[in-house]
Amino acid sequence: MAKRLMLAAMLMMSSMAHAQTEPADQDGFTHPLSDLQFNPGLDQREFERATFNALNIYDPWESLNRRMYYFNYRLDQFVMLPAVRGYRLVTPKIVRTGVSNFFDNLGEIPTLFNSVAQLKGERAMTTTARLLFNTIIGIGGIWDPATRMGLPRYNEDFGQTLGFYGVPHGPYLILPALGPSNLRDATGQVVDFGVERQVDYFNYAEASGGEFGLTALRLIDIRHTTPLRYGQLNSPFEYEKVRYVYTRARELQIEE
Amino acid sequence: MRLLLCLSALLALVAVTSAHAADISVEQYGYPLSNPFEATIATTPEAFRAELPSDDDIDQADYSLRLRPEREFILPENFWAVKKLTYRLAKQPGPAPLMFIISGTGGSYSAGKTESLKRLFYGAGYHVVQLSSPTSFDFIAAASRYATPGYSPGDAKDLYRVMQAVRAQHHELPVTEFNLVGYSLGALNAAFVSKLDETRQSFNFKRVLMINPPVNLYTSISNLDKLVQTQVDAIDSTTTFYEVILEKLTRYYRQQGTINLDEAMLFDFQQSALRLTDEQMAMLIGSVFRFSAADIAFTSDLINRRGLIVPPKYPIDEGTSLEPFFRRALLCDFDCYITEQLIPMWRAQQDGGSMAQLVQEVSLYALEDYMHNSSKIGVMHNADDIILGAGDLGFLRRTFGDRMKLYPRGGHCGNLTYRVNAQDMLEFFRG
Repeated sequence: MAKRLMLAAMLMMSSMAHAQTEPADQDGFTHPLSDLQFNPGLDQREFERATFNALNIYDPWESLNRRMYYFNYRLDQFVMLPAVRGYRLVTPKIVRTGVSNFFDNLGEIPTLFNSVAQLKGERAMTTTARLLFNTIIGIGGIWDPATRMGLPRYNEDFGQTLGFYGVPHGPYLILPALGPSNLRDATGQVVDFGVERQVDYFNYAEASGGEFGLTALRLIDIRHTTPLRYGQLNSPFEYEKVRYVYTRARELQIEE
Repeated sequence: MRLLLCLSALLALVAVTSAHAADISVEQYGYPLSNPFEATIATTPEAFRAELPSDDDIDQADYSLRLRPEREFILPENFWAVKKLTYRLAKQPGPAPLMFIISGTGGSYSAGKTESLKRLFYGAGYHVVQLSSPTSFDFIAAASRYATPGYSPGDAKDLYRVMQAVRAQHHELPVTEFNLVGYSLGALNAAFVSKLDETRQSFNFKRVLMINPPVNLYTSISNLDKLVQTQVDAIDSTTTFYEVILEKLTRYYRQQGTINLDEAMLFDFQQSALRLTDEQMAMLIGSVFRFSAADIAFTSDLINRRGLIVPPKYPIDEGTSLEPFFRRALLCDFDCYITEQLIPMWRAQQDGGSMAQLVQEVSLYALEDYMHNSSKIGVMHNADDIILGAGDLGFLRRTFGDRMKLYPRGGHCGNLTYRVNAQDMLEFFRG
């Protein structure tokens, strides 16, 4: 009997430990660090090792890239962001959403092309369905009924396609105005641009060729929908941190 | 004699339970995350958050102040963005009380938690000014007199100068009264600023709220430095800690099909089989603070030309790689920064002094009498906050009495946006 009680008590105690409602001390403090397993000598260098490792990204054009980074920073502060502020001031929210949807819809074309190129059948089908629904029911893509129907928006570009077939990312590259990239992804962007021109959906390519306003609107829309800001990390090492995050994020996008 | 002992034991028991009677129980509180590390990382799940106004409903803009013109020449040209101090002001249409918010360790004026607090107080009808932490990159460069943060009375003077300049820049703004709130290290800063205001009287704060402050600054930084020493398994010569975490996230991603990297995702992720262990989460939190420590060590060294990280005459322009300095700075944790930079400077200024003396001067101990007697200051804390040590909550209880609110859960600042906390904050400033 006593044994059974002991067992029950022990079980209760272990389940309590699992629930992590540690008993508080006299002050009501639960000593959250007391249950952690620490390295006995407190001399583990794993943070340093992992971070140093993450800094090893092929960046032979670093000096030029850094200058371009600061150029973009200034461009953003003194041209792009004021333009976005003006845009937000003169257009109601519903118009801005419509504009974003319209350009997103145009962007489905490279996604479709690259999904096919990577033999991702389901993704290609979803994207085709999205393109049709949004263009016809959503009136040229101004509304996005496809998302409400449960068709998720994918993003595939030619840089991802190249990565999918094993092309390495090459040197890190900061593009003028467009920001972080690498040789592979920059090449991909050129190809995607060409695809969009060739397909010439809605005569958009032709219209934007003659009409500077349309291209400007697209750029402003891109900036409007990108929440990132230069200086946002508030660190003297923003360049290095952005470089790591960009490179890793692209690798993850290629893997998916 | 025996009876006396029994009686005193009984009395002690009663005293202890009555001291806790004012505290909120886990059931009453209802905050869903029981693990302090999860709470610290994932904060409050969407469904449990207070309803806050969105950006479209807030009339706000960023402004900048030129406080230290000499930095123009001291800092290399590529630091142009932090030669002026930027802050954010949200204005109400008419006369209203004003709330200053001081961000936590390394946090800028636009840090997520500062933004949440802004939304809360703006929604309740305050003008709101968001300030960077004195330990943040931009503040050290643009507003800190000695560019060596961590000496709380000095940081308070820097902050006070910034707040006065903000007021002067918007002298036309109709303000009915001034209030002050800070979280984490910003809460400690708020207490020192409030003390300073008692003599300088530029603001005469009506109420001052400290949210999750460190009590003994040295305990807190020791805890944070120690977090990267947890035993994390599945690491060997081919894979690093970051890779392990990313690998887990990727696998989770494949299982789910789609992923939204937000707090809700982290919450779901922790319910899955791939969940991170407490040690891994501790290491993640510790890593974030190590990056802050590296930024502080680098910036302070660069401005003061100490030569610990950057050689004093090293030419730096927009094309110069800072990576070698980043690597050096990453080796320096908070303890290293204090020993190598803060203490030597403080000793030179004060003609000597011991570490124990510094800890006394920069921690809340220095303000014990003031906080005990000043009814306008209040504190909110969590029973499972990772920056505290034994006895810290006892100190707060003794000092603040019923002006202290202790929540049973929340980790370090994980419950800032929880409904109950939001209500309590507004209530504190109303009262």
